[in-house]
Amino acid sequence: MSKLLEFVKRIEPKKGTFAHTVYDGFFTLLYTPDEVTHGGTHIKDGVDLKRTMVMVVIALQLCYVFGTYNIGHQHFVALGAYEGFLDGFHLKLFFGLGKLLPIFIVTHVVGLAIEFYYAYKKGHGIEEGFLVSGALIPLIMPPDLPLWILAISVAFAVWIGKEAFGGTGMNIWNIALLARVFVFFAYPTTISGDQAWVAGVTSTTPGGEAIYGWYHNLCNGIFEMFGAATFEASAKVVDGFTGATPLILAYQGGWDAVTQVYSESQMWWGAIPGSIGETSKPLILLGALLLISLGIGSWRIMVSMIFGAAVMSLLLNLWDATPFMTVPWYYQFWMGSFWFAMAFMATDPVTATSTNRGKWIYGFLIGFIGIIIRVLNPAYPEGWMLAILLLNTFAPLIDHYILQSNINKRLKRA
Amino acid sequence: MDLINIFIKSAFIENLVLTYFLGMCSYLAVSKTVKTAFGLGLAVIFVLGITMPINWLITTYLLSEGGLLGMDLTFLRLILFIAVIASMVQLVEMVIEKFSPSLYNSLGIFLPLITVNCAILGGSLFMVSKEYNFAESVAFGLGGGFGWFLAIIAIAAIREKIKYSNIPAPLRGLGIAFIITGLMGLAFLSLLGIDPAAL
Repeated sequence: MSKLLEFVKRIEPKKGTFAHTVYDGFFTLLYTPDEVTHGGTHIKDGVDLKRTMVMVVIALQLCYVFGTYNIGHQHFVALGAYEGFLDGFHLKLFFGLGKLLPIFIVTHVVGLAIEFYYAYKKGHGIEEGFLVSGALIPLIMPPDLPLWILAISVAFAVWIGKEAFGGTGMNIWNIALLARVFVFFAYPTTISGDQAWVAGVTSTTPGGEAIYGWYHNLCNGIFEMFGAATFEASAKVVDGFTGATPLILAYQGGWDAVTQVYSESQMWWGAIPGSIGETSKPLILLGALLLISLGIGSWRIMVSMIFGAAVMSLLLNLWDATPFMTVPWYYQFWMGSFWFAMAFMATDPVTATSTNRGKWIYGFLIGFIGIIIRVLNPAYPEGWMLAILLLNTFAPLIDHYILQSNINKRLKRA
Repeated sequence: MDLINIFIKSAFIENLVLTYFLGMCSYLAVSKTVKTAFGLGLAVIFVLGITMPINWLITTYLLSEGGLLGMDLTFLRLILFIAVIASMVQLVEMVIEKFSPSLYNSLGIFLPLITVNCAILGGSLFMVSKEYNFAESVAFGLGGGFGWFLAIIAIAAIREKIKYSNIPAPLRGLGIAFIITGLMGLAFLSLLGIDPAAL
């Protein structure tokens, strides 16, 4: 390993060139911080901003694995083949990879290109900020999103949302959510409705055809060598399939309409159509526990967000006017992307409030407003993205008044 | 219930700044610190809340054909609205100067400039075109003012937070304020589409 390091150090490009910026970025990612304890009994851990971010990326890995597989699973359920979750394992896995990898690569190429360019322009090292944003963005996009739309939205988020504000740690709004909200308002048909969530079919209504390309032919060749099942190009979407997500069904007909199509455990474990990484609740909760135990994600925000959502759902239960309002309050947590937003989006330490009392208020209001948007707003099926962006707007204000009240309290004591 | 709907709608869903882009000049100029923004926001709530019903009375009982003068004088609407707003602003100015000289000094020219703040004139004109009655116009005025108040204190807190950020030189000051406003508009879109009356 030390020989490798020597080699890497030997190929370091001249300082001040763009190549050096790129080199420096990868070097710091892979080899720093190498500071360890110097003598004495003090324990110094090498956790810096980059390590913190890598922890979040690790917490997301389960969502990645499940999300990749679920893309394939939803595709085959629509075609009426391999309906058991583990049937046709290799087909589902490779289909999912064929969808996820391009999204992942485009996100990182576009995001990192802008990041590297600005680091070079500003003449300092690469900032690590895109590690987490780049890991989050693919998980909150629909699997069939056209890649050029993805590229534009990532460029928008990184450029306007982050670099204009001065780079990593300076942004006011969550980068990943800005990318998604851009797609949401600029290209709404690609990210909402019945058609968006099942990948690789021309239409999710019965008779829609499977779309297979060179990638699937290549896979077929390999599968045939092992005598395994292959992608069938003649497959069609089966009768009775709609592609509607639980939220759409609940909006139309309440909880009964949802349970006719999806069982409770299916929704809980996540074998339902949705954005790539947000469907499986237990895996997200594992990630959330990891973040809490490492002290990265704030448990105050998570708890207060659950509380806020529960309070609002209860109030709506009492109001009881539309089918969606009659959904029992605890089942609101079975649908949609609540847990993903809670674990990975709301707790973003840069855009959330930084005072402890502020975190309670911030989380509660996200939960409260998110349910309002989800249930009362016919224009949007799900509310967490917009609720979090709205509260990101007010987070500095909440912090300001809490600091002010603390200052006033001390002045009174003095 | 209807009045609450109008209040919520004018404050959040049809926010004067972030949906109609009205009242931008004082919104951008006085939003450097939360304290002054708070003061100006309160002044705007007050002026909107007072001028709206007065302007309603004027249009209904003075300018319309069925009014006291018995003829259609709606072409005088703009002038009279401005006159009412100007006098109300004068009143606010005297009160603030008397009770909070420091706020008066920090608001400077922007306090009298509320007179030509298009959010306030725009609010009155919306009130006419939406054919509200008296109570509704009060709710609409207070709601619009509250929405403006929320927007300006939110951007003021954000601008205080990014005061020492390393923002690219060409964007410093107003440039980033415009970007923030646009992104705030995106965030406020969250409530667009809710129709309080339909619930």
